[in-house]
Amino acid sequence: MPIQLTSQAYCKMLLHAAKYPHCAVNGLLVAEKTKEKKKDGHSGPVLCVDCVPLFHGTLALAPMLEVALTLIDTWCKENNYTIVGYYQANEQTQDSRPNQVAQKVAARISENFSEAVIVMVDSSRLTMSCFEPIVFIYDHLENKWKNREVTTDAFEDWNEAQKITSALLVGRSYENLIDFDNHLDDLRNDWTNPAINKSVLDLC
Amino acid sequence: MRDKLRKWREDNCRNSEQIVDVGEELISEHASKLGDDIWIIYEQVMIAALDCSRDDLALTCLQELRKQFPDSHRVKRLTGMRLEALERYDDANKHYDAILQEDPTNTAVRKRKISILRAQGKSTEAIRELNEYLEQFVGDQEAWHELSELYINEHDYGKAAFCLEELMMTNPHNHLYCEQYAEVKYTQGGMENLELARKYFAQALRLNNRNMRALFGLYMSASHIAASPKVSAKVKKDNIKYAAWAAAQINRAYKLAGRGNKDNKCSIKAVEEMLESMQITMS
Repeated sequence: MPIQLTSQAYCKMLLHAAKYPHCAVNGLLVAEKTKEKKKDGHSGPVLCVDCVPLFHGTLALAPMLEVALTLIDTWCKENNYTIVGYYQANEQTQDSRPNQVAQKVAARISENFSEAVIVMVDSSRLTMSCFEPIVFIYDHLENKWKNREVTTDAFEDWNEAQKITSALLVGRSYENLIDFDNHLDDLRNDWTNPAINKSVLDLC
Repeated sequence: MRDKLRKWREDNCRNSEQIVDVGEELISEHASKLGDDIWIIYEQVMIAALDCSRDDLALTCLQELRKQFPDSHRVKRLTGMRLEALERYDDANKHYDAILQEDPTNTAVRKRKISILRAQGKSTEAIRELNEYLEQFVGDQEAWHELSELYINEHDYGKAAFCLEELMMTNPHNHLYCEQYAEVKYTQGGMENLELARKYFAQALRLNNRNMRALFGLYMSASHIAASPKVSAKVKKDNIKYAAWAAAQINRAYKLAGRGNKDNKCSIKAVEEMLESMQITMS
Protein backbone atom coordinates (compact mmCIF):
# COMPACT_ATOMS: atom_id res chain seq x y z
CA MET A 1 0.00 0.00 0.00
CA PRO A 2 1.51 3.33 -0.97
CA ILE A 3 2.44 5.70 1.79
CA GLN A 4 2.63 9.43 1.52
CA LEU A 5 4.80 11.73 3.56
CA THR A 6 3.60 15.07 4.83
CA SER A 7 5.96 18.02 4.90
CA GLN A 8 6.27 17.74 8.66
CA ALA A 9 7.31 14.07 8.56
CA TYR A 10 9.78 14.59 5.72
CA CYS A 11 11.46 17.69 7.07
CA LYS A 12 11.88 16.34 10.58
CA MET A 13 13.61 13.24 9.19
CA LEU A 14 16.04 15.39 7.24
CA LEU A 15 16.60 17.76 10.14
CA HIS A 16 17.49 14.76 12.30
CA ALA A 17 20.01 13.55 9.71
CA ALA A 18 21.41 17.07 9.36
CA LYS A 19 21.82 17.51 13.10
CA TYR A 20 24.11 14.47 13.36
CA PRO A 21 25.96 14.29 10.04
CA HIS A 22 28.64 12.04 11.49
CA CYS A 23 26.22 9.49 12.98
CA ALA A 24 23.59 7.05 11.92
CA VAL A 25 20.14 8.27 12.97
CA ASN A 26 16.78 6.57 13.13
CA GLY A 27 13.17 7.19 14.04
CA LEU A 28 9.58 6.13 13.66
CA LEU A 29 6.91 7.25 11.22
CA VAL A 30 3.35 7.67 12.45
CA ALA A 31 0.04 8.05 10.69
CA GLU A 32 -3.45 8.85 11.83
CA LYS A 33 -5.52 5.80 12.66
CA THR A 34 -8.11 5.39 9.96
CA LYS A 35 -11.41 3.62 10.22
CA GLU A 36 -11.92 0.25 8.55
CA LYS A 37 -10.81 -0.17 4.97
CA LYS A 38 -13.51 0.39 2.43
CA LYS A 39 -15.19 -2.71 1.13
CA ASP A 40 -13.52 -2.60 -2.25
CA GLY A 41 -10.14 -3.06 -0.61
CA HIS A 42 -8.72 0.15 -2.07
CA SER A 43 -8.39 2.75 0.62
CA GLY A 44 -6.33 5.83 -0.03
CA PRO A 45 -2.59 5.91 0.62
CA VAL A 46 -1.47 5.90 4.23
CA LEU A 47 -0.52 9.44 5.17
CA CYS A 48 2.53 9.65 7.46
CA VAL A 49 1.70 12.83 9.29
CA ASP A 50 4.67 12.91 11.60
CA CYS A 51 7.86 11.22 12.62
CA VAL A 52 9.52 10.73 15.99
CA PRO A 53 13.32 10.96 15.87
CA LEU A 54 14.77 8.22 18.06
CA PHE A 55 18.53 7.77 18.31
CA HIS A 56 21.82 8.87 16.88
CA GLY A 57 25.15 7.07 16.95
CA THR A 58 24.83 3.48 18.10
CA LEU A 59 21.51 2.14 16.88
CA ALA A 60 22.04 -1.54 17.54
CA LEU A 61 21.29 -1.74 21.27
CA ALA A 62 17.95 -3.13 22.41
CA PRO A 63 16.87 -1.73 25.79
CA MET A 64 16.34 1.94 24.93
CA LEU A 65 14.81 0.97 21.61
CA GLU A 66 12.24 -1.15 23.46
CA VAL A 67 11.51 1.68 25.85
CA ALA A 68 11.06 4.09 22.95
CA LEU A 69 8.80 1.75 21.00
CA THR A 70 6.57 1.09 24.01
CA LEU A 71 6.43 4.71 25.09
CA ILE A 72 5.72 6.03 21.62
CA ASP A 73 3.13 3.33 21.09
CA THR A 74 1.32 4.56 24.22
CA TRP A 75 1.60 8.14 23.03
CA CYS A 76 0.19 7.13 19.66
CA LYS A 77 -2.84 5.55 21.28
CA GLU A 78 -3.54 8.80 23.13
CA ASN A 79 -3.37 10.78 19.91
CA ASN A 80 -5.10 8.32 17.62
CA TYR A 81 -1.92 7.58 15.69
CA THR A 82 -0.38 4.29 14.60
CA ILE A 83 3.28 3.56 14.05
CA VAL A 84 3.46 2.73 10.35
CA GLY A 85 7.11 2.87 9.49
CA TYR A 86 10.73 3.31 10.43
CA TYR A 87 13.36 5.64 9.00
CA GLN A 88 17.12 5.46 9.14
CA ALA A 89 20.09 7.34 7.76
CA ASN A 90 23.29 5.29 7.81
CA GLU A 91 26.64 6.47 9.11
CA GLN A 92 28.21 5.66 5.75
CA THR A 93 26.71 8.05 3.25
CA GLN A 94 27.47 5.80 0.33
CA ASP A 95 25.36 3.00 1.75
CA SER A 96 21.64 3.56 1.99
CA ARG A 97 20.35 0.01 2.25
CA PRO A 98 18.31 -1.08 5.28
CA ASN A 99 20.54 -3.08 7.61
CA GLN A 100 19.75 -5.65 10.28
CA VAL A 101 18.57 -3.06 12.80
CA ALA A 102 16.20 -1.50 10.29
CA GLN A 103 14.75 -4.85 9.33
CA LYS A 104 14.31 -5.96 12.93
CA VAL A 105 12.50 -2.80 13.98
CA ALA A 106 10.35 -2.85 10.87
CA ALA A 107 9.43 -6.47 11.57
CA ARG A 108 8.35 -5.42 15.07
CA ILE A 109 6.25 -2.61 13.63
CA SER A 110 4.71 -5.02 11.12
CA GLU A 111 3.25 -7.01 14.01
CA ASN A 112 0.88 -4.12 14.56
CA PHE A 113 0.66 -2.67 11.09
CA SER A 114 0.99 -5.16 8.30
CA GLU A 115 2.18 -2.75 5.63
CA ALA A 116 4.99 -1.16 7.58
CA VAL A 117 7.63 0.55 5.47
CA ILE A 118 11.29 1.35 5.86
CA VAL A 119 12.36 4.78 4.68
CA MET A 120 16.09 5.17 4.14
CA VAL A 121 17.45 8.69 3.92
CA ASP A 122 20.16 9.13 1.33
CA SER A 123 22.52 11.44 3.18
CA SER A 124 24.86 11.69 0.23
CA ARG A 125 22.28 13.83 -1.54
CA LEU A 126 21.36 16.00 1.42
CA THR A 127 21.64 19.64 0.35
CA MET A 128 20.27 22.94 1.61
CA SER A 129 18.01 23.34 -1.38
CA CYS A 130 16.48 19.85 -1.27
CA PHE A 131 15.62 20.08 -4.92
CA GLU A 132 14.84 16.38 -5.14
CA PRO A 133 13.40 13.84 -2.70
CA ILE A 134 16.26 11.95 -1.07
CA VAL A 135 14.49 9.00 0.44
CA PHE A 136 14.21 5.38 -0.58
CA ILE A 137 11.04 3.59 0.43
CA TYR A 138 11.15 -0.14 1.05
CA ASP A 139 8.12 -2.41 1.23
CA HIS A 140 8.10 -5.95 2.56
CA LEU A 141 7.15 -8.16 -0.37
CA GLU A 142 7.69 -11.92 -0.67
CA ASN A 143 9.76 -11.95 2.50
CA LYS A 144 12.22 -9.37 1.24
CA TRP A 145 12.51 -5.64 1.55
CA LYS A 146 12.11 -4.19 -1.92
CA ASN A 147 12.94 -0.70 -3.04
CA ARG A 148 10.06 1.24 -4.53
CA GLU A 149 10.51 4.04 -7.02
CA VAL A 150 10.03 7.34 -5.23
CA THR A 151 8.29 10.07 -7.15
CA THR A 152 6.66 13.24 -5.96
CA ASP A 153 3.51 11.11 -5.49
CA ALA A 154 5.12 9.80 -2.31
CA PHE A 155 4.50 13.23 -0.82
CA GLU A 156 1.27 14.88 0.17
CA ASP A 157 2.63 18.07 -1.39
CA TRP A 158 6.21 17.87 -2.67
CA ASN A 159 6.58 21.57 -3.42
CA GLU A 160 5.52 22.49 0.08
CA ALA A 161 7.75 19.81 1.60
CA GLN A 162 10.72 20.99 -0.43
CA LYS A 163 10.17 24.64 0.45
CA ILE A 164 9.72 24.03 4.16
CA THR A 165 12.60 21.57 4.53
CA SER A 166 14.96 23.87 2.70
CA ALA A 167 13.92 26.87 4.81
CA LEU A 168 14.40 24.98 8.06
CA LEU A 169 17.79 23.58 7.00
CA VAL A 170 19.05 27.02 6.03
CA GLY A 171 17.72 28.43 9.28
CA ARG A 172 19.61 25.67 11.18
CA SER A 173 16.42 24.52 12.94
CA TYR A 174 18.04 21.14 13.34
CA GLU A 175 19.99 22.54 16.28
CA ASN A 176 16.71 22.49 18.20
CA LEU A 177 15.47 19.11 17.03
CA ILE A 178 14.98 16.74 19.95
CA ASP A 179 15.34 13.01 19.53
CA PHE A 180 14.68 10.27 22.09
CA ASP A 181 18.39 10.20 22.99
CA ASN A 182 18.22 13.90 23.88
CA HIS A 183 15.11 13.17 25.93
CA LEU A 184 16.92 10.44 27.91
CA ASP A 185 19.76 12.90 28.58
CA ASP A 186 17.29 15.44 29.96
CA LEU A 187 13.64 14.55 30.45
CA ARG A 188 12.57 18.12 29.82
CA ASN A 189 13.54 17.74 26.16
CA ASP A 190 10.31 17.02 24.31
CA TRP A 191 10.62 14.42 21.53
CA THR A 192 7.34 15.52 20.00
CA ASN A 193 9.18 18.69 18.91
CA PRO A 194 6.32 21.17 19.33
CA ALA A 195 8.50 24.14 18.43
CA ILE A 196 9.58 22.66 15.12
CA ASN A 197 6.05 21.50 14.37
CA LYS A 198 4.94 25.08 14.87
CA SER A 199 7.65 26.36 12.51
CA VAL A 200 6.46 23.92 9.89
CA LEU A 201 2.87 25.06 10.31
CA ASP A 202 3.92 28.69 10.10
CA LEU A 203 5.65 28.05 6.80
CA CYS A 204 2.77 26.17 5.23
CA MET B 1 34.33 33.48 23.52
CA ARG B 2 37.72 32.00 24.39
CA ASP B 3 36.11 30.38 27.41
CA LYS B 4 33.43 28.78 25.27
CA LEU B 5 36.07 27.34 22.97
CA ARG B 6 38.08 26.11 25.92
CA LYS B 7 35.06 24.41 27.46
CA TRP B 8 34.26 22.71 24.15
CA ARG B 9 37.88 21.57 23.89
CA GLU B 10 37.86 20.14 27.38
CA ASP B 11 34.53 18.38 26.91
CA ASN B 12 35.53 17.10 23.50
CA CYS B 13 32.25 18.32 21.98
CA ARG B 14 31.65 17.85 18.30
CA ASN B 15 29.55 20.99 17.83
CA SER B 16 31.51 21.95 14.76
CA GLU B 17 29.18 24.59 13.35
CA GLN B 18 29.24 26.52 16.60
CA ILE B 19 33.02 26.24 16.89
CA VAL B 20 33.40 27.55 13.35
CA ASP B 21 31.06 30.48 14.05
CA VAL B 22 32.78 31.52 17.28
CA GLY B 23 36.30 30.61 16.18
CA GLU B 24 36.18 32.36 12.84
CA GLU B 25 35.12 35.60 14.46
CA LEU B 26 37.71 35.25 17.20
CA ILE B 27 40.52 34.63 14.74
CA SER B 28 39.67 37.34 12.27
CA GLU B 29 38.93 40.09 14.74
CA HIS B 30 40.72 39.37 17.97
CA ALA B 31 43.80 37.45 16.95
CA SER B 32 46.20 39.88 18.58
CA LYS B 33 44.60 39.51 22.00
CA LEU B 34 44.80 35.74 22.12
CA GLY B 35 48.50 35.33 22.83
CA ASP B 36 49.73 31.77 22.71
CA ASP B 37 46.22 30.41 22.92
CA ILE B 38 45.84 31.21 19.27
CA TRP B 39 47.67 28.09 18.11
CA ILE B 40 45.43 25.66 19.93
CA ILE B 41 42.43 27.64 18.74
CA TYR B 42 43.67 27.38 15.15
CA GLU B 43 43.85 23.61 15.60
CA GLN B 44 40.38 23.39 17.12
CA VAL B 45 38.81 25.62 14.49
CA MET B 46 40.58 23.82 11.69
CA ILE B 47 39.18 20.45 12.70
CA ALA B 48 35.70 21.95 13.10
CA ALA B 49 36.02 23.59 9.70
CA LEU B 50 36.84 20.23 8.13
CA ASP B 51 33.69 18.86 9.73
CA CYS B 52 31.64 21.63 8.13
CA SER B 53 33.27 21.36 4.72
CA ARG B 54 34.83 24.80 5.14
CA ASP B 55 38.07 23.99 3.38
CA ASP B 56 38.85 27.69 2.98
CA LEU B 57 38.90 28.25 6.72
CA ALA B 58 40.68 24.96 7.37
CA LEU B 59 43.45 25.84 4.95
CA THR B 60 43.92 29.28 6.51
CA CYS B 61 44.31 27.77 9.97
CA LEU B 62 46.59 25.03 8.67
CA GLN B 63 48.87 27.50 6.90
CA GLU B 64 49.23 29.61 10.04
CA LEU B 65 50.11 26.52 12.04
CA ARG B 66 52.60 25.34 9.41
CA LYS B 67 54.34 28.71 9.43
CA GLN B 68 54.66 28.63 13.20
CA PHE B 69 55.51 24.95 13.68
CA PRO B 70 57.18 23.85 10.43
CA ASP B 71 58.40 20.40 11.46
CA SER B 72 55.71 19.45 13.89
CA HIS B 73 54.19 15.99 13.59
CA ARG B 74 51.09 17.32 15.25
CA VAL B 75 50.62 19.81 12.42
CA LYS B 76 51.47 17.16 9.84
CA ARG B 77 48.67 15.07 11.29
CA LEU B 78 46.32 17.97 10.66
CA THR B 79 47.47 18.06 7.05
CA GLY B 80 46.55 14.39 6.85
CA MET B 81 43.14 15.09 8.34
CA ARG B 82 42.49 17.67 5.68
CA LEU B 83 43.30 15.09 3.01
CA GLU B 84 40.88 12.72 4.74
CA ALA B 85 38.17 15.38 4.70
CA LEU B 86 38.72 15.78 0.96
CA GLU B 87 38.36 11.99 0.72
CA ARG B 88 41.89 11.70 -0.69
CA TYR B 89 42.42 8.61 1.44
CA ASP B 90 45.40 7.22 -0.48
CA ASP B 91 47.26 10.52 -0.17
CA ALA B 92 46.35 10.72 3.50
CA ASN B 93 47.63 7.20 4.12
CA LYS B 94 50.93 7.94 2.35
CA HIS B 95 51.26 11.08 4.44
CA TYR B 96 50.62 9.20 7.67
CA ASP B 97 53.00 6.41 6.71
CA ALA B 98 55.74 8.99 6.23
CA ILE B 99 55.15 10.33 9.75
CA LEU B 100 55.17 6.81 11.17
CA GLN B 101 58.50 6.13 9.45
CA GLU B 102 60.01 8.96 11.44
CA ASP B 103 58.09 8.21 14.62
CA PRO B 104 56.66 4.69 14.88
CA THR B 105 55.14 5.39 18.31
CA ASN B 106 52.88 8.18 17.11
CA THR B 107 49.57 6.85 18.38
CA ALA B 108 47.47 9.73 17.07
CA VAL B 109 48.55 9.02 13.52
CA ARG B 110 47.97 5.27 13.87
CA LYS B 111 44.46 6.05 15.01
CA ARG B 112 43.91 8.32 12.02
CA LYS B 113 44.76 5.41 9.75
CA ILE B 114 42.14 3.32 11.53
CA SER B 115 39.63 6.16 11.13
CA ILE B 116 40.25 6.10 7.40
CA LEU B 117 39.31 2.41 7.34
CA ARG B 118 36.14 3.22 9.23
CA ALA B 119 35.31 6.09 6.89
CA GLN B 120 35.72 3.78 3.93
CA GLY B 121 33.31 1.30 5.50
CA LYS B 122 36.03 -1.33 5.94
CA SER B 123 34.84 -2.40 9.39
CA THR B 124 36.61 -5.76 9.45
CA GLU B 125 39.99 -4.22 8.69
CA ALA B 126 39.37 -1.39 11.12
CA ILE B 127 38.55 -3.91 13.85
CA ARG B 128 41.66 -5.93 13.07
CA GLU B 129 43.97 -2.88 13.06
CA LEU B 130 42.40 -1.54 16.24
CA ASN B 131 42.91 -4.89 17.98
CA GLU B 132 46.58 -4.87 16.96
CA TYR B 133 46.91 -1.30 18.17
CA LEU B 134 45.38 -2.18 21.54
CA GLU B 135 47.78 -5.09 22.05
CA GLN B 136 50.53 -2.48 22.11
CA PHE B 137 48.69 0.42 23.72
CA VAL B 138 46.50 -1.38 26.20
CA GLY B 139 45.65 1.73 28.20
CA ASP B 140 44.11 3.76 25.39
CA GLN B 141 40.53 4.20 26.56
CA GLU B 142 39.37 6.11 23.52
CA ALA B 143 40.49 3.17 21.43
CA TRP B 144 38.70 0.59 23.58
CA HIS B 145 35.53 2.63 23.29
CA GLU B 146 35.87 2.97 19.53
CA LEU B 147 36.39 -0.79 19.29
CA SER B 148 33.28 -1.48 21.37
CA GLU B 149 31.29 0.73 18.98
CA LEU B 150 32.66 -1.10 15.95
CA TYR B 151 31.74 -4.46 17.48
CA ILE B 152 28.23 -3.27 18.36
CA ASN B 153 27.69 -2.11 14.78
CA GLU B 154 28.73 -5.57 13.62
CA HIS B 155 26.34 -7.10 16.18
CA ASP B 156 29.28 -8.87 17.87
CA TYR B 157 27.97 -8.15 21.34
CA GLY B 158 30.25 -10.59 23.14
CA LYS B 159 33.38 -8.79 22.00
CA ALA B 160 31.80 -5.39 22.58
CA ALA B 161 31.11 -6.47 26.16
CA PHE B 162 34.78 -7.42 26.54
CA CYS B 163 35.88 -3.93 25.48
CA LEU B 164 33.47 -2.32 27.90
CA GLU B 165 34.74 -4.62 30.67
CA GLU B 166 38.24 -3.25 30.07
CA LEU B 167 36.85 0.26 30.36
CA MET B 168 34.92 -0.52 33.53
CA MET B 169 38.03 -2.02 35.14
CA THR B 170 40.06 1.12 34.57
CA ASN B 171 37.16 3.49 35.27
CA PRO B 172 35.12 1.90 38.04
CA HIS B 173 33.32 5.14 38.83
CA ASN B 174 32.15 5.86 35.31
CA HIS B 175 28.40 5.27 35.25
CA LEU B 176 28.22 5.55 31.46
CA TYR B 177 30.45 2.53 30.83
CA CYS B 178 28.44 0.51 33.35
CA GLU B 179 25.21 1.46 31.69
CA GLN B 180 26.48 0.74 28.17
CA TYR B 181 27.79 -2.64 29.32
CA ALA B 182 24.36 -3.42 30.74
CA GLU B 183 22.73 -2.44 27.42
CA VAL B 184 25.05 -4.79 25.53
CA LYS B 185 24.30 -7.66 27.91
CA TYR B 186 20.57 -7.00 27.61
CA THR B 187 20.83 -7.03 23.82
CA GLN B 188 22.71 -10.33 23.91
CA GLY B 189 19.67 -11.81 25.62
CA GLY B 190 19.11 -14.94 27.65
CA MET B 191 18.36 -15.17 31.33
CA GLU B 192 21.96 -14.94 32.57
CA ASN B 193 22.67 -11.87 30.50
CA LEU B 194 19.42 -10.24 31.58
CA GLU B 195 20.32 -10.71 35.22
CA LEU B 196 23.79 -9.34 34.59
CA ALA B 197 22.25 -6.41 32.74
CA ARG B 198 19.96 -5.69 35.65
CA LYS B 199 22.88 -5.75 38.08
CA TYR B 200 24.95 -3.37 35.99
CA PHE B 201 22.03 -0.99 35.42
CA ALA B 202 21.67 -0.96 39.20
CA GLN B 203 25.39 -0.30 39.58
CA ALA B 204 25.19 2.59 37.11
CA LEU B 205 22.36 4.03 39.17
CA ARG B 206 24.41 3.73 42.34
CA LEU B 207 27.11 5.76 40.62
CA ASN B 208 24.65 8.31 39.24
CA ASN B 209 21.07 8.17 40.39
CA ARG B 210 19.91 10.47 37.64
CA ASN B 211 20.95 8.24 34.75
CA MET B 212 17.57 7.74 33.05
CA ARG B 213 18.86 5.05 30.72
CA ALA B 214 20.01 3.02 33.72
CA LEU B 215 16.65 3.51 35.40
CA PHE B 216 14.69 2.44 32.33
CA GLY B 217 17.13 -0.41 31.79
CA LEU B 218 16.68 -1.64 35.34
CA TYR B 219 12.91 -1.51 34.86
CA MET B 220 13.00 -3.38 31.54
CA SER B 221 15.40 -6.10 32.64
CA ALA B 222 13.63 -6.73 35.96
CA SER B 223 10.26 -6.82 34.16
CA HIS B 224 11.48 -9.31 31.58
CA ILE B 225 12.97 -11.56 34.24
CA ALA B 226 9.78 -11.44 36.29
CA ALA B 227 7.66 -12.18 33.26
CA SER B 228 9.69 -15.23 32.26
CA PRO B 229 8.02 -18.58 32.95
CA LYS B 230 11.39 -20.20 33.70
CA VAL B 231 12.25 -18.39 36.93
CA SER B 232 11.58 -19.49 40.47
CA ALA B 233 8.89 -17.80 42.51
CA LYS B 234 11.45 -16.03 44.67
CA VAL B 235 13.34 -14.59 41.69
CA LYS B 236 10.03 -13.50 40.21
CA LYS B 237 9.00 -11.80 43.43
CA ASP B 238 12.35 -10.03 43.80
CA ASN B 239 12.31 -8.75 40.27
CA ILE B 240 8.74 -7.51 40.55
CA LYS B 241 9.96 -5.52 43.54
CA TYR B 242 12.91 -4.09 41.61
CA ALA B 243 10.70 -3.22 38.66
CA ALA B 244 8.13 -1.57 40.89
CA TRP B 245 10.86 0.51 42.55
CA ALA B 246 12.24 1.53 39.17
CA ALA B 247 8.76 2.42 37.91
CA ALA B 248 8.17 4.65 40.92
CA GLN B 249 11.52 6.39 40.35
CA ILE B 250 10.73 6.87 36.68
CA ASN B 251 7.35 8.40 37.45
CA ARG B 252 8.96 10.65 40.00
CA ALA B 253 11.64 11.79 37.57
CA TYR B 254 9.02 12.62 34.94
CA LYS B 255 6.90 14.54 37.43
CA LEU B 256 9.93 16.54 38.48
CA ALA B 257 10.79 17.31 34.89
CA GLY B 258 7.22 18.16 34.01
CA ARG B 259 6.89 20.81 36.68
CA GLY B 260 6.50 24.18 35.12
CA ASN B 261 6.06 22.79 31.66
CA LYS B 262 2.49 22.03 30.77
CA ASP B 263 3.26 20.64 27.34
CA ASN B 264 5.22 17.77 28.76
CA LYS B 265 2.12 16.26 30.28
CA CYS B 266 1.78 13.92 27.34
CA SER B 267 5.11 12.35 28.25
CA ILE B 268 4.18 11.86 31.88
CA LYS B 269 0.87 10.27 31.01
CA ALA B 270 2.45 8.07 28.35
CA VAL B 271 5.07 6.85 30.81
CA GLU B 272 2.50 6.08 33.49
CA GLU B 273 0.40 4.14 31.01
CA MET B 274 3.38 2.28 29.66
CA LEU B 275 4.45 1.24 33.13
CA GLU B 276 0.91 0.16 33.98
CA SER B 277 0.51 -1.86 30.82
CA MET B 278 3.76 -3.70 31.49
CA GLN B 279 2.63 -4.44 35.04
CA ILE B 280 -0.27 -6.38 33.60
CA THR B 281 1.97 -8.59 31.47
CA MET B 282 4.20 -9.28 34.47
CA SER B 283 1.56 -10.65 36.80
